[in-house]
Amino acid sequence: MRKSGSWVLTLLLVASACTSYSHTERSSTQLAFGTDVAKEGHWREAAFRFEQAIAKEPSNARAHNNLAVAMEANGDFARALVEYKKALELEPNNEYIRRNYARFAEFYTSYTKTTGKAASAPTP
Amino acid sequence: MPAFAGVDQVRLRLPLKAKLPLRGNERIALAPMIIVTDAEKGRDKRLANVDLQAEFQRFLKKQLEKRTRFELIQTPPDLKLPTQNLVELAKAQEFWASVGTQTGAEIVVSGSLEFKVEDRSGYKTEEYTSPIDGRTYYRQVYVEQTGFLFDIVLLVLDGHTGEKLLQDQFKDFRQTGSRRADELQGLFENLFSLESQILNTFVARDREAERYIFTN
Repeated sequence: MRKSGSWVLTLLLVASACTSYSHTERSSTQLAFGTDVAKEGHWREAAFRFEQAIAKEPSNARAHNNLAVAMEANGDFARALVEYKKALELEPNNEYIRRNYARFAEFYTSYTKTTGKAASAPTP
Repeated sequence: MPAFAGVDQVRLRLPLKAKLPLRGNERIALAPMIIVTDAEKGRDKRLANVDLQAEFQRFLKKQLEKRTRFELIQTPPDLKLPTQNLVELAKAQEFWASVGTQTGAEIVVSGSLEFKVEDRSGYKTEEYTSPIDGRTYYRQVYVEQTGFLFDIVLLVLDGHTGEKLLQDQFKDFRQTGSRRADELQGLFENLFSLESQILNTFVARDREAERYIFTN
């Protein structure tokens, strides 16, 4: 009786692990987790999570936007530009993405002007 | 734009590289600046007892000493600018090269300063709802205000060749709610708000930025 009880417990644990694993397979789970760590300032981990979200759902404009923000925070501005453009291409009327891109374009233009790096941030 | 459900606002610290590609330990000479403010004119009378040149030099020296590793050198007190015209001053290569040789500075900083105190007091129209009949009227009220405008043009010159390396302009306007606001206090309010931008000419600075991220 005791043996069968421990089997049930093991099965339950395996089932619960499988459930949480299947959640991380979802783009939305990666996005939510990435956002949580981003708010704590762990931008590298956040970028990894947003990349995972994109890998699972390449047409997710929100994930591209979040990855662009994470890239900005990590100082990879060229990659941020690519991701913002992709996000806007997917959701051109999203006000939040448009606002982010406008702010980024302003910063990036002055940044490239002072560093002399050849890059152009087109007007949003 | 406020963030709605599914959206959060985050703060980032973005790096702003120095406008001048310097090593960080150069010898910098702070030369006099052209003072554009004319204390003889009526509107500038309040500035007659503000030594703009000395105040700005002191401010710049203090900030550069505090936030950078440059070696700061004061130019000789009797150093006279060859012209009071900013365009000509930027082109005076021989003069700047001689300042560099005299002081041993690799970089020389000069430029122009303009500080204005404007009395902006006057009558302004405002809406007024009468407690008697509840109707809205317009009435004239006297508002006392003082505006402080600071316009700085920084000229950064090569101490060896006298060549202009950079020319940059910084402007700030502040308004206070009283008529006889202190001019020195106004001057420093302008300067403190420009501090980060001025320093960014010489050293890298951080800038805070806000972005939206999606939570789902």
